Formats: sequence, structure tokens, C-alpha cells
Amino acid sequence: MRIQCESIAAILILLFLCIPLAKTTAAAAAERAAERHVMVREQIAARGVKDPATLKALKQVPRHLFVPASQSGYAYEDRPLPIGHGQTISQPFIVAYMTEIIHPGPGRKILEIGTGSGYQAAVLAATGAQVFTIEIIPQLAAAAAARLQRLGYRNLVSKAADGYYGWAEHAPFDAIVVTAAAEFVPPPLIEQLAEDGLMVIPVGTPYLVQSLLLVQRRGDTLSSTNLMPVRFVPFRRAE
Amino acid sequence: MNKAAFCNRRHLALILVSAALLAFQIALLQLLATSQWHHFAYFVISVAMLGFGAAGSLLSLARDWLLARQEQLLPLLLCGCALTLVAPLGMAQLLFGGFDSLLLFVAASEALRLVAVALLLMLPFALGALAIGLVFVAETERIGSYYCANLLGSGLGSILGLAGLAWLLPQRLSPLFALLVLAAAALLLPRQRRLLQAALFGGLLLVGFVLFQPPSPLLSQYKDLRRALDLPAAKTLAQRPAATGQIQVVQAPALRSAAGISLNWRGELPSRPAVFVNGDLFGALPPGTMENNPRDAATFALPYALHTPHRVLVLNAATGLDLAQALGRGAVAVTAVEPQRAVTATLRDIAPHSFGALLDDPRVNWQSMAARTWLARDRDSYDLVILPTLGSFGGSAGLFALQEQPLLTREALQQTWQRLQPEGMLAMSVWLDYPLRAPLRLLATLVETLHEEGIAAPAERIIAVRGWGTLTFCVLRSAPDAALLARARQFAARWGFDPLLLPDLGPAERQRFHRLQDDALLELFDILLGSSRSELYRDYPFRIAPVSDDRPFFAQFLRWGSLPELISLYGQRSLPFLELGLLVAALAALVLSLLAGLLILLPLLRLPGGGGRRLTLLYFGGLGIGYMWVELALIHRFVLYLGQPVYAAALVVGVLLVGSGIGSALSGRLDGRRIGRWSGSVACALVLLALLLGPLLQATLQLPLGLRVGVAVLLLTPLAMLMGTPFPLGLRRLGQLRPQEVAWAWGINGCMSVVSAALATLVAVEVGFSLLLLFSAVAYLLPAGVRLEERVQSQPHGRII
Repeated sequence: MRIQCESIAAILILLFLCIPLAKTTAAAAAERAAERHVMVREQIAARGVKDPATLKALKQVPRHLFVPASQSGYAYEDRPLPIGHGQTISQPFIVAYMTEIIHPGPGRKILEIGTGSGYQAAVLAATGAQVFTIEIIPQLAAAAAARLQRLGYRNLVSKAADGYYGWAEHAPFDAIVVTAAAEFVPPPLIEQLAEDGLMVIPVGTPYLVQSLLLVQRRGDTLSSTNLMPVRFVPFRRAE
Repeated sequence: MNKAAFCNRRHLALILVSAALLAFQIALLQLLATSQWHHFAYFVISVAMLGFGAAGSLLSLARDWLLARQEQLLPLLLCGCALTLVAPLGMAQLLFGGFDSLLLFVAASEALRLVAVALLLMLPFALGALAIGLVFVAETERIGSYYCANLLGSGLGSILGLAGLAWLLPQRLSPLFALLVLAAAALLLPRQRRLLQAALFGGLLLVGFVLFQPPSPLLSQYKDLRRALDLPAAKTLAQRPAATGQIQVVQAPALRSAAGISLNWRGELPSRPAVFVNGDLFGALPPGTMENNPRDAATFALPYALHTPHRVLVLNAATGLDLAQALGRGAVAVTAVEPQRAVTATLRDIAPHSFGALLDDPRVNWQSMAARTWLARDRDSYDLVILPTLGSFGGSAGLFALQEQPLLTREALQQTWQRLQPEGMLAMSVWLDYPLRAPLRLLATLVETLHEEGIAAPAERIIAVRGWGTLTFCVLRSAPDAALLARARQFAARWGFDPLLLPDLGPAERQRFHRLQDDALLELFDILLGSSRSELYRDYPFRIAPVSDDRPFFAQFLRWGSLPELISLYGQRSLPFLELGLLVAALAALVLSLLAGLLILLPLLRLPGGGGRRLTLLYFGGLGIGYMWVELALIHRFVLYLGQPVYAAALVVGVLLVGSGIGSALSGRLDGRRIGRWSGSVACALVLLALLLGPLLQATLQLPLGLRVGVAVLLLTPLAMLMGTPFPLGLRRLGQLRPQEVAWAWGINGCMSVVSAALATLVAVEVGFSLLLLFSAVAYLLPAGVRLEERVQSQPHGRII
């Protein structure tokens, strides 16, 4: 009887704790919605991103909660921002472009390498796709996992690991998004790409100008397309 | 204390403090190159000169007050100098959270950080220089011998700094140099001054503490080394000091190397330790086995697909990746040339079974010398010569714009071409960049080389394949046959690469596997191979014409005149990320020039006007500019000759300073009235040197290193002695005519040295080192036209600023 009482108390406490959390999440979605709509209209749609699922996802995901508090004021500006450890949260347009090009949506299984702040993963998840995301820097991985959990993304799984190996247990993937540049495309990722799978990956010096590369698999034949130059550098110092 | 003993102590103290300051400058140079980038070399020189100039200004303003208290002030200033020698980097990082040059153009606050860091780093130089200047001004009649001690000390300091870097990490050196300054302070300590003795003891304690607890330099978060160390389970396998740059070998499970590997590769890519020099990636260790080498699945393997070369020459072999590939692909004799001796020794120690085994392979002839020196001396010929891969993954954004790359000049490629067998080939790879620059300049250099070798149709001799990120050229000494072209196509198809240049290439073949964003690369390549390439050199927004030995800045693509066009194309904020190196140097030059104006010239406006000040400005300003430019131009000329930039810098700076010191000591015997003719003689000697140096060095390049050092010393010493005379003669004369201007003259000299050091590389990039040497002769002509005493009467109230 005593155990039951304790359990009930524990549940009540948890529920009590969840009320403000749910409020926070709901409030987060509404918070700064106007800025997000402007961002989508002026920075993303105006530059040619047309996929409705992508645009909707970008309007939903509260980008300002994915940047350090000191950067929150710049969250909806047309620029990448530093998140520490030499990493950045990409410019909104780049996130949108990388999302649109792999056609995410319900029923699609997507692997992301380089969780960073978790923003790209959240946008992919917001399209309804099943998302698996990997981050190599443990501190970033832990912070992103906590953030994504707090914001209630259910169709998203994350882990701290070396992205080189991909996530073999969940392979093959319809698409792979690599957000961290490397001087080679990891062979295990190519093996985990489904037939007709797509991989989008920035290639170039991590803090300078990079080129966005789309790798396509058609059976055993692999080809690539240089999509556009991109820059993942911060305009501000990480605080 | 008798007068002679007093003077001897002052001379010795001057030698010690001058040596410590110059040695510290060299250590600081490596520290900043490690935590930031190498273009801060110029920044350090200017900051040091700024300290000297600011001290001169203060000395001018408060001359009488300082002179009256010199006995107490000298040891105090030197104690302060010692303390700031050990603290500035730590202070800079503590107070400002680490300066980051990559943010300079995107955050205005970063420029303020640059100013703050410059001021902090200037402190030890300013305090030390104030002590030196006080000694000069106190006894202008002995200026020649004091100046001699100052220069001798600096000359010794250059050797001490380099020797120190060979044995200890730079952060461990500054407390040792501080001890030298404290020793100088002890020499000048007056008796029965308890307070001063306590200050010295306190300084000693603090320096001793830092000696055992040196602060670690904070690396920019964008440095290659920092990113490797941030990886989980990363550990440093070795950290070794070296005069050519500190070496670190890092291992992490996620650290792998397979640059540019084909998408079709399905083998393992095991993690491999990476080697960093001054925080920049130098290369990965080669695989232990030559079987199943991932490098065979990159465009770099193209030459082996065309032929099986028996005799191979690998230039700038670095960690031996190309060497391992050549051996794995059947070469029977490989000569590998690598100038970084210390890296070779480190890798041999820590990787005896991979790198060490490569060096011990009986087929390998490993030569530790600069590639150009080897090319000039070698008489063998090869089936394949491999030059190092150019640029970096995604382009280097001009980070190395100010780095001399003597292996990428027209002259270098001509020398390389001469080393090929009749059926031989030259192989060179480059990372694709955006906007296109490095591949274009490389092809332009190859095309011009072939034209100069009498090959009318270069397109028939160049084969190139392109992967998703890299591009490899093979330049053939003989025209290829159909079988060879078929092998090139097979190689490309096997690994999913696209042929980019083949004599019989069809348009459909060029983008089969890797589609480009647009056809610019293909079109520009076609123009470079055609007859209108000169127009392209002229009209392209970046500099892509081949570079020469006189201006060996291959990675300097920025054309100042194209800035408005580039800004409109890419946006103002993007520009630094395309061409960072030169812009950082220009900005640093601007900041330092402003600081020089603020700290040196502006305070001097408070001095009462005197008619001769314009002449003093011309005389001592000209000397400041001339000396600095001679030094930098000569370092460049001796890099090729001695084979190592660091040897060249040490030898030129050391000989010029010691020689000038001797000249200065001898100047006491010269007629101090007609001082202009001495700087005129320097100008003549410089013109003569500009004409004769090239042929003289070329004629003696075959000599062993020891003899080449001897030749260099013989050539430079008379010039250095001559260069040492105008400054002390001028100061002595000024002391007789207008003693209140002595310190001011010293300040002007310092100010012009700041500006000229900051500008020297920018000038060299624009006009070349030969003209820089001639410009320095012109700078020496300014003092030649000045007679300090005559104009005093004719322009008694002239203002100079």
C-alpha cells in the first residue's frame, strides 16, 4: 500500500512537472512565429525553395531555441550562428535547401550526420520523416538530445557516436544529410544508402567556403552534382 | 663604481636586454603562428617596432624627468620588461578571450581585440626599449658603442631565439628570456636601494613560477589542430619543439585520412594519426601496408594508371603518402625530398613500423632539403615527378596568400621538367575551389611551361581527371599514344571520375559522374589551352597568371582593383572568406600604422617646433624604412639559396644586426659632419647587390651548406657594416646640434619601421622582391640628401606634421 502511494505521488509530481514543460513547448511554437514567417518568406521561399512540407516545417520549428541564449536575438537572421566547439547552426536557407533536396516526409527514413544544435534534425522530423541523428562531440550531442526531447519530437532518435559508421541497425536510409564537412565521403554511409537514395553533403574547409554536393545512388552506380557554394562560418563569436 | 666599470655594465646590460627582446620576438612569432596563422609574423615585427617607437616618443616628451631618475628607473623598467615578457600572451587570452583573426571582417569588436592584443604584446618591447633609449640619450657621445651593443645583442638574440625553439616550446622560452632581462636589471641595480632589490626579487619569483607553469597557448577554434583535439578520445602522441614550427602528432579514433577518395571505394578507412606543424595539418601518417591503399582510389593515382614508373621523384614528401603509393605501385627507386627535418625525425621515432619502415626501404632515397635546392643540384632523371597537392579541401580562402611557394613558380616547373626522362611525366593535383582560382593558375603555369619548352600545342600533352573534389594533371614529355589514352579512360571509369583534359576528349565525357554547378571550369580550361589565355589573365577577377621566383605567392589571387566587383558578386561579408590572408595583412598594417601615428607621432606634436625636424624625419624615417625592407628582401633571396626559410631568416637577421653593430662601433672614428654620404653609400651598395646577388648565388648553389653559409656571410657583412653607420652618426650629430631631438629621431625611426614592416609583404606581393630591394635603396637615398645642420638655420620654425 505504501509502495502504491509512493508511485501515485511520483506520477503526480511528474505530471506537475510536465505541465510547465508542455506550456513551454506550446509557447515555444507560438513564440516568435511572426519572425519565422518572415524568415521563410524572405530568406527561403524568395530564393526558390518551394516544397510545402519544407516550408511548413521551417515555420514550425522554433529556431531561437536551438541557438545559445546570447545568439537568440539573431536566430532568424540570414546567417549561420556559432554554437561552440567550432560548430555552427546553418543559415536558415541552407537548412531549407538541404531539406527540400532530399524530399523528406512521412514514410521516409533519414539519417543525419552532425546533429550540432539539433535544428536540422528537428526540421526533418517536422516534415513527418523518421529521423536518426548522430553527433560526435559528446557535449553537443547531450545538449541537442535534451533540447529535442524537451520540444517533444517523437519521430527522432539521436546518439553520440562517430558518424563515419552511420547507423547500420536502421539502414538502409532513403536519404542521408551530412552537415559536417569531411575530405572524403565515408564508405559505410554509401553502403547504408537505399537504392535510389540521396545524400547531401557539404564539401570544403569547415570554416570557409564549401560546396554542397548531392550524391545519388542508382543501383551500383554513384554520381554527384555540385549544387551551390555555401558557407558555414559564423558571423559572431561563440560566447 | 668607476666610470669604465659603469659603462661596461651598461654595455653588457644592453646586450642582454636586446638579445632577450629579439629572441622573444622569434618565440612570439611561432606562438602566434600556432594559435592563429602564419601571417602574424609580420604583425609581431611591427608590434615590436611599435614598442620601440612608443618608447622613443615617451623619451622625447619626458626626457629631462627620465634622465634625472635614470639610476632608479633603469632597473625598474627592466623588471617591468621581464614581467611583461612572461605575461602578455596569458594576459591577452585572459582579458580578451582569445583573439580570432577569422572574425576580423565580420565583427567590429574583433578589430578592437586586435588593437588590444597589439598593445599588450607591445608592452615588453616598449619597456625594454625605454631602458635602451635612456642609456642612449644619457650619453650621446658614446652612442656608437651603445648602439653596437644593442645590435650585437639583437644579433645574438636571433640565434638564441632559433636555438631555443629547436629545444623548447615557445611558451617555455619567454621566462628564460625574462631571466636575461632580470640579469640586465641586476647589473644596473644601484647599491643600497632596498626597494629596487625587492622589485628584482619579486620579478625573479614570478618569472620562476611561470618557468615551471608556462601557460598553454589557446588555439583558434578554427585551427586544424584544435579541431582534431576536440574529437572524442583524442590524444597527443608527440609534441616536439622545432625552429621550423612546433610539431604535434594527434591520434583519435575518428581521425581518418582518405583525401578525395572515390565514391566507389568500399574498403576500410582505419583511423591514422595526423601530424600538425604550428597547428596546421601537415599530413596523415602513411598506412603500415602498401596493399589496398585508399589513395589508389583517388585521382592522385592517375599517373600509375598510365604507366608503371620505375624511377620516381617526390617533392615535398611530407609524411610520405606519395612515397608509399609509389612503392606500392611498383617503383624500383624513389627519391623523396622533404625540408622539414624535425618532422621526419619525430615520425621516425613514433611510427617506426610505418613511416620508419618507408625510410628504411632500400628503394628509398630520402633527402632532407628544400625541393628547389634539390632540383638545382640533382642531375638524375625520372619517369615520374610528383609535386605536392595544391590548396586544401574546399580551397584555402587565401589563408596562405602571403606564404612564399617557391615550388609553384614558372622557374620551378621548368627545373622539374628538365628532370624528366623522354617518356616521363609530371603529376600534380589540386583541390577544386570556389570561386575557381588554384586549378586555373596551376593549368596556366603548366601551359606556359610547355610553351617555354617549345611545345606548341600543350593540350596534346596534358591529361587531367576530376573527382568530386580533386583534380589531377599528368603532363607528358612525349605525346601520348592511343593505348595510354585508353588507360586514362579506364581508370576514370573504374573509379567514377570524369576525364577533364584528354587530347581526343568528347564533350559528353566531361561530366558523366560528377556534374558541376555550371560549365565555368570547362570553359576556362579551354581558354587557358587556347591562344587567348593572356586576355583571361587580364580580365579574370582574380590573379591567375603564373607566378615567378621574384613574386612566389601562388596562393595570392586577390586583385585589389576587382574588389568592388567581388563585393557585388559575393557580398562584403563573404569576401574575407575568399581571400583572407592578404586582407588580414592589409588590415593589420592599417591598424598598426594608426597605432604608430597615435603612439609615436601624435605625442611628439607636443614638443616645441624646431626647424630641423622635417630633416630629422627624412633622415631617420628613411633609415627605418630602408633597413626593414633590406632585411625582408634579403631573407627572401636567401631562402632558395639556403633551402630553409628559417635558416635564411636567422642568417640574414643575425649577420645584418651583428655587422651593423660592428659598423656602428666603427662609426665613432668617422667624420660625423657629412653623414649623408654614408647612407648614399648604402644605397649604391644595395643597387650593386640587386644586380649581382642573383648570379653570385646561382654560381655557388652547388656548394655544401656550410660553404653556402660562408658565402652568405661574406656577401652580407660589408653591407651590414655599412648599414650600421648612418644611424649612430645621425644621432651623434643630432646630439651635438639639437639634443632634444635625439629621442624623437629614435621614435621616428621606430615608427617608420612599424609601417614599413607591415607594408613590406604587401609591397613584395605587388611588385616583387627585386623591386623591394631597389625601393629600400631609394629609402636610403632620402637621408643621403639631408644635412641636418645646414637647414636648421634656413628653416628655423618649420613644422613637420
